[in-house]
Amino acid sequence: MGKRLVHTPEGVRDIYGDEKAARNIVEHLLQDKIKSYGYQDIQTPTFEFFDVFSKEVGTTPSRELYKFFDKEGNTLVLRPDFTPSIARCAAKYFMDENVPIRFCYRGNTFTNTSNLQGKLKEVTQMGAELIGDDSVQADAEMIAMTIEALYHAGLSDFQISIGNLEYFKGICAEAGLDEETELELRELISGKNYFGAEELLEGVHVDRKDKELLLQVSDLFGTAAILHDAKHAVDNKRSRNAIDRLEKVYQVLCEYGVEKYVSFDLGMLSKYNYYTGIIFKGFTYGIGDAIVKGGRYDGLLHRFGKDAPAIGFMIVVDDLLAAMNRQGAVISGVEKCAKLYYTQENFREMLREARQMRAAGKCVELLPKK
Amino acid sequence: MTEQMNENRYLTFALGKGRLANKTMELLEEIGITCEEMKDKDSRKLIFVNEELKLKFFLAKGPDVPTYVEYGAADIGVVGKDTILEEGRRVYEVLDLGYGRCRMCVCGPESAAELLRHHEMIRVATKYPNIAKDYFYNKKHQTVDIIKLNGSVELGPIVRLADVIVDIVETGSTLKENGLKVLEEICPLSARMIVNQVSMQMEPERIKKLITDIRRQLS
Repeated sequence: MGKRLVHTPEGVRDIYGDEKAARNIVEHLLQDKIKSYGYQDIQTPTFEFFDVFSKEVGTTPSRELYKFFDKEGNTLVLRPDFTPSIARCAAKYFMDENVPIRFCYRGNTFTNTSNLQGKLKEVTQMGAELIGDDSVQADAEMIAMTIEALYHAGLSDFQISIGNLEYFKGICAEAGLDEETELELRELISGKNYFGAEELLEGVHVDRKDKELLLQVSDLFGTAAILHDAKHAVDNKRSRNAIDRLEKVYQVLCEYGVEKYVSFDLGMLSKYNYYTGIIFKGFTYGIGDAIVKGGRYDGLLHRFGKDAPAIGFMIVVDDLLAAMNRQGAVISGVEKCAKLYYTQENFREMLREARQMRAAGKCVELLPKK
Repeated sequence: MTEQMNENRYLTFALGKGRLANKTMELLEEIGITCEEMKDKDSRKLIFVNEELKLKFFLAKGPDVPTYVEYGAADIGVVGKDTILEEGRRVYEVLDLGYGRCRMCVCGPESAAELLRHHEMIRVATKYPNIAKDYFYNKKHQTVDIIKLNGSVELGPIVRLADVIVDIVETGSTLKENGLKVLEEICPLSARMIVNQVSMQMEPERIKKLITDIRRQLS
């Protein structure tokens, strides 16, 4: 029995020693940068009513949520991400607020994903949300802050890829695609599956020109130069506005001086339904998935009764640390603790010395001499 | 800064062992990418390098290829569509290479055809539990008991372990010899090129060029 008790369930783990110390440092570095933009800490409950994370709000699929019941029979959910909680919170406590509100958070999230795929079920997420500001400057602030936070934490080789859902939606509307086909196509194009999209569109009655435009979206990624091509390819207003927005955001990002970390991907179409305009993801070597996800979700707060635009991002701290580890990044500032050994005879002296050192801000461990 | 790093960085290919890997090397040779090291059949090396083009190649068991690519241990992989469907990994599926064509089918004795017309519970033996589950649950809405086997799946119905099997059918001769036939086709299969999501974003130009070259060669 004793041996069995020491194990943890699959997908969760203990974090201790130097790893935990390094993690704390990285978390603080990220937080310092976010705080320097005026974002205020917010803490929401670890579990909430199911409806906050339901399909209509559009986050994690229901079967990947950890669900349980309270005594009244309500279905509760361990949070799979923070954004809906924060939207709920903002709608509740800042209902009449008209100035932009800035929140940042850190905490653990839970998703019941499949076993044996090497993915954690409990991860630490850190992020920020800017509510009540739909300007280009707000978009750029969020992206620039992400870049600066990652850089500040010690990551040097990474890319933030920016897309805009509206570009694809504009073409879909022009082509007159039904919702089901659009969703299927969205899945294929976000998987860069050109031939799959081609096959799907062969069976659909769509204008040849629109078909080509739709297929081309999967190839529209790379440097800012692709925006020019993308803009001239379309003549519908919605898609053109989408590119206009990206161009303006890019200009502001150049003002921040972070443009070398920025690329564009118009085929990035998030599976989260709540994103409405600009979306972005952060990529780096050593980890198979994006370590940062973010975007604009102008419709989400409406679900909770407040009409307000919003944009946010989150960093998966576990993935960031794994990537930094594999890239051999040095996390400095892990404090080594001094050791003082005492015997029965000299305990008083040693204690005094230890207390003096602690008062001077040093870390001291008192140990009996063997 | 990023560009400098990219120039020195190897692009790594993970290839599914066997015919698929040979076909892929032939195709790559047609677009000017070779790996002499790999042609030496006696070599015991696990990783083959083309220093000039900064490319690395390694062979892996089919089902492991998407895993290597998802985690970025390889940037690019070539593997059958069956494996991609079964493994459900987060990778970009960018090209249908056209070779290795076959079909994923439900097979069984003639008498089992009747069982597929109703929604009653049947037993299905397969090497592909996820594909079988998806097909019966989401497309046919039939309740099934899935039995995972690791090889010679055709045995299933013969020794009465299962009513039908879900397996890859190429020519159908193995089925025929054992008195089984294709009852339903689930989907066509072929070799696919997959790309790690991060590699695609970090080195779009290099990978885009490769895809365009192969696409042109195939058409």
